[in-house]
Amino acid sequence: MTVFPHLLAGLELSTLPQQLVNGILLGAIYALIALGYTMVYGVLKLINFAHGEVFMLGAYTALFTSWSFGFTEVGNKQDSSPGILILMLIVSMTVCGVVGVLIERFAYRPMRSQPRIASLITAIGISLLLQYGGQLFLPSSPPPSISDKVNPFKGNIEIPLKPADSALLAQAEQLKAKVTSTKAAYDEQLKSEKDSFNLSPVGKELRTASQDAERDYRNAIDKANKDALVITLPQGQVIMLVTTVILMVILTWLVMRTTAGRAMRAASLDFDAASLMGINVNTVIAFTFFIGSALAGAGAMMNASFLGGTKIDTFFGMLPGVKAFVAAVLGGIGNIPGAVLGGILMGLAETMVIWAGYGNYKDAIAFIVLIVVLLVKPGGLLGSNKVEKV
Amino acid sequence: MNIQFSWKHGLIALAVAAAIGCNGGDSSATTPTVENKGTEAAPAAGARKAPTAEGNKVDGDVIKIGIVGSLTGDQKPWGEDSIEGGKMAVEEFNAAGGINGKKVELITGDSNSKAEGAKTAAEKLISDGVVGIVGEVASGHTIQIAKSAFDKGVPVVAIGATKTDLTNEGTHVSRVCYIDDFQGPVMAKFAYEELGLRKVALMTDNKQPYSQYLSKTFGDKFKALGGSIVKEAFYESGQTQFSGQITELKAENPDGLFLSGYFTEVGPIAQQVRQAGLKDVKLMGGDGWDSPQLLTSGGDAILGSYFCNHYNNKEDRPIVKSFLEAYKKSHGGKEPGTTMAALGYDATKLMLDALKRAKSLDSKSLIEAINETEKFAGVSGDITLKGFNGNPPKRALVVEVRPQSEGFQVFRKAYEADEIK
Amino acid sequence: MKFWGVRLASILGAVAFCFLLEAVAQGQSSFVQRLFVLAGLYVTLAVSLNLINGITGQFSIGHAAFYQVGAYTAGFCASRFFAQMNLPPAAWLLLMMVTSAITAGLAGLLVGLPSLRLKGDYLAIVTLGFGEIIRIFAQNQEALGGAYGLTVAPKIQYVWAAWLLAILCIAVCRNLLRSAHGLPFLAVREDEIASSAMGVNVTQTKVVAFVLGSMFAGAAGAILAHFESFVSPPMFTMDVSFTIVTMVVLGGTGSITGSVLAAILLFYLPEKMRDFTNIPLAGVAAAFVAISAAVFAIRWVMQNFHGSTKDRAIRYLGILVGAVVIWFLSKALLGNVPSLKENIDGSKLRMVVFSVTLVVLMLLRPQGMLGHHEFSWDWVRSKFGKPTVKEATA
Repeated sequence: MTVFPHLLAGLELSTLPQQLVNGILLGAIYALIALGYTMVYGVLKLINFAHGEVFMLGAYTALFTSWSFGFTEVGNKQDSSPGILILMLIVSMTVCGVVGVLIERFAYRPMRSQPRIASLITAIGISLLLQYGGQLFLPSSPPPSISDKVNPFKGNIEIPLKPADSALLAQAEQLKAKVTSTKAAYDEQLKSEKDSFNLSPVGKELRTASQDAERDYRNAIDKANKDALVITLPQGQVIMLVTTVILMVILTWLVMRTTAGRAMRAASLDFDAASLMGINVNTVIAFTFFIGSALAGAGAMMNASFLGGTKIDTFFGMLPGVKAFVAAVLGGIGNIPGAVLGGILMGLAETMVIWAGYGNYKDAIAFIVLIVVLLVKPGGLLGSNKVEKV
Repeated sequence: MNIQFSWKHGLIALAVAAAIGCNGGDSSATTPTVENKGTEAAPAAGARKAPTAEGNKVDGDVIKIGIVGSLTGDQKPWGEDSIEGGKMAVEEFNAAGGINGKKVELITGDSNSKAEGAKTAAEKLISDGVVGIVGEVASGHTIQIAKSAFDKGVPVVAIGATKTDLTNEGTHVSRVCYIDDFQGPVMAKFAYEELGLRKVALMTDNKQPYSQYLSKTFGDKFKALGGSIVKEAFYESGQTQFSGQITELKAENPDGLFLSGYFTEVGPIAQQVRQAGLKDVKLMGGDGWDSPQLLTSGGDAILGSYFCNHYNNKEDRPIVKSFLEAYKKSHGGKEPGTTMAALGYDATKLMLDALKRAKSLDSKSLIEAINETEKFAGVSGDITLKGFNGNPPKRALVVEVRPQSEGFQVFRKAYEADEIK
Repeated sequence: MKFWGVRLASILGAVAFCFLLEAVAQGQSSFVQRLFVLAGLYVTLAVSLNLINGITGQFSIGHAAFYQVGAYTAGFCASRFFAQMNLPPAAWLLLMMVTSAITAGLAGLLVGLPSLRLKGDYLAIVTLGFGEIIRIFAQNQEALGGAYGLTVAPKIQYVWAAWLLAILCIAVCRNLLRSAHGLPFLAVREDEIASSAMGVNVTQTKVVAFVLGSMFAGAAGAILAHFESFVSPPMFTMDVSFTIVTMVVLGGTGSITGSVLAAILLFYLPEKMRDFTNIPLAGVAAAFVAISAAVFAIRWVMQNFHGSTKDRAIRYLGILVGAVVIWFLSKALLGNVPSLKENIDGSKLRMVVFSVTLVVLMLLRPQGMLGHHEFSWDWVRSKFGKPTVKEATA
């Protein structure tokens, strides 16, 4: 295998619009986690390595909540309602928020007067502790996942951009009769066979005929659809995107327009000066951690229930955590719209790489994009590039 | 003070000392620190090297046997199941009296889901004096165990390691499962002949050598049969969203999709494939799908898919039934989650059986006895190693995924070892 | 030149120490030999990262990348050229160490260059990213064995090689720090702008630190590749990088002795856990409660009591007794929880012990075990009431 399996010539333009949409939807989840990184960094100048693990605990909380509603048994036929989802979201956000505050209180606050690298190592320690300690106490063998029955939004929103060739489609429909007739013949024969995979010669012939007819029909449909262009948006992921945008707007409003936000910004500029001005810095930091972690909780809950079947183990937060961290840095760490922009760019970069046919390098590309951006703009895309004063 | 001057001198002296040290190490060729001079070309099957080291001996009243599995990390489900199976085999063996009054002690080692961890664990077991090692489930881990064991002359019976060239490591390695050169083609044949598929796309977990190789063997056979592989998409275990890959696959309109990875990712992939509108596409996979968890992670989307497995809980053979009963008894009524419990049981039992037949209780005789195994009755079918270079010819079952109420894995078709070339 | 004797003795002692270790390891099982070699490699990695992180103050958290570059270089060369060159193993290993050091050094140059523009956390994420890029690249190259890895022949298992490299690395870093060449590194750490104003070439210093640090990591990689006779991408994940950073910080940023001690401690502790079996889970949970209580009690004493050493010692003893009591109580209490009623193997606790040690040490001694202090002969001499070098030459 060569380094690059094919050159750009092999690009498929027809999937590009869909892939762009996929990228934005994928980016939403990174953005949500990145918001937490960026807020904590903005105030404390600390890379909260345990943020990914808070995300993981959020997924577990969502799982346990769904279990408490009876979505445990395999093949559970109960139907869910949006109410249950909202409840799961609230519980996850609350639990994560509290966990975040606890981590800050007991692990980071004692380190605040210490060099930043010491708090960073503590953060790594907490992250490893939650990953491996969690294995002892949380169900992870085999890794559980939230039942697909929890998510009532399984449909798609389809946006047709270009219709299928109607003449070809009509031709294809003519083949359908043959599919039905051969299938009927085969089904009839099956009644006299004892096992559909050990057929008599007659049965085999009928099965082949049925399969051939079906294949012809499908190929005809594919041919008709060749130039058609439909963008498919899974409802669950659209909800994730919308939630992210809403949360970002609320957050920006919170930080820029409220008293609490002003206190937050003041604390991020200068702890001592802020506390001299009567701001309780501890409360501000705890609040920041609560919000940041609650966002991770929201992301985790939505990730685990809308992307049905996602496995939940104690390493659940590692990969998204790292990618979101990169997203936060890409957008300019400490900057709220930057985190969202970074997240979406990460999502886009990933799907674009898959689209270009280098899917096996997609995790590397995130970092390559990051390095290139940082070399051009060392403060990230929207970050301020401070000049150090002597 | 000319400190500068002196530190340079210090460095030169060290370099000289290092050079002297090298010569010293070279001339003292009596110490066996260099095992292989020259490159290790993999010997062709049939010409496996025999380990030269003496191996461990049993002294005292306890026969020590090691088992390696992942008790932590991604592969914990298989590690735990295989070790549970191993423990059961040893308990049964001891209850039946052991060998001449000597009881067997099973020592476990954690490979931490890493090749390096498997190696460390195996070396620790060997230094603890085990006469043989059972394990591992993953091929990448087993090969490390095999290498360490070769140097010490200790036999290894692999549990679920299906990578084909694994047993080329030496005569001390054998396994109780089929190989990827069999599993992939079985599914290709099934897809082409039974399901009537012609255009199949592959989805490969790029982090797992198992998945990479399985995709390859499936693809090669499927093409040889006359079908076409329209696309191969890659992901990495741990990923949760697959829309990018699925969009690319969808553009090729495949009839079928071969997912060669592990069940943890297969479930979500299946759900997302269906949601993306590929409703009729047949999903297929290998023994990495084997876990009841697949039903929760795959939901309705995975039902009606097919995969290849070693044995089936619902098989009619008496040994399967007695194994399940015993397992349920010691595990609070729970059925084993994966086939690795049965394979772990088989592997351990095979080693114990060989130990009984061995001329004396040491690693060397044990290797001989293992390679002489004929028609050993395992839960996963009869195992014959004599004349097969550690790769027993075994059956592969194609099972269909059905709801738990219908028994999860419903047996569809069996392929005998000689049906696939 | 008065102390050439001590210096020579140190060198000879170091070399003798390596071969003593070799001799000790020879009689041991391969498991123990492996621990010996890996400990030596981790010492090299920690000390070489200390040169970048602790001494020059460039925050790198992707050291495993250079380790990997070195290991793959050696692995790749061994599979292509070893058979033709017909060198004795020791010479080959040395050659590979040099080759790997060069390739890793080039990689270090590649990462070191952006470090001119980036600072602190931004640099950190770039180094982390570089590590991932290298790992994913290797994973996708069939020539490098793909996800499965690369078999390296010959297998060369010299304990002395690992430790000689470690000592060489220590010697270079230590002597660098004590020479005029080392001062720029420290100056850059303390204040880049001020040091450039003083005429220090900041760019050059940073790049040299990166390249030198990476070269040692690369050489360590070569030894690893030949020792394991196998390299694969999962051997060089972010966890490895984090472990090395942890060693540096835990030992005391900038303290070489600290890095060495922390490397050995952090390597040994998790490995030791493999020896324990059948640990009751309730006991583990109780230990967690007791340790947390003890840590906060100690912190409270540290902040609120400034009495004599004896007074504090008594209080610490009290805390210790209290912790044991808490452990027993909570164990009895937690023993009733059904989900905690199982027993687990020590190997499951390896990383838990690692992380708890990390957090506890950071909370109690954030400057690291040794802070900025170093072991030196002067210190030993002063303990015996002899004059130090400074005093003697004054």
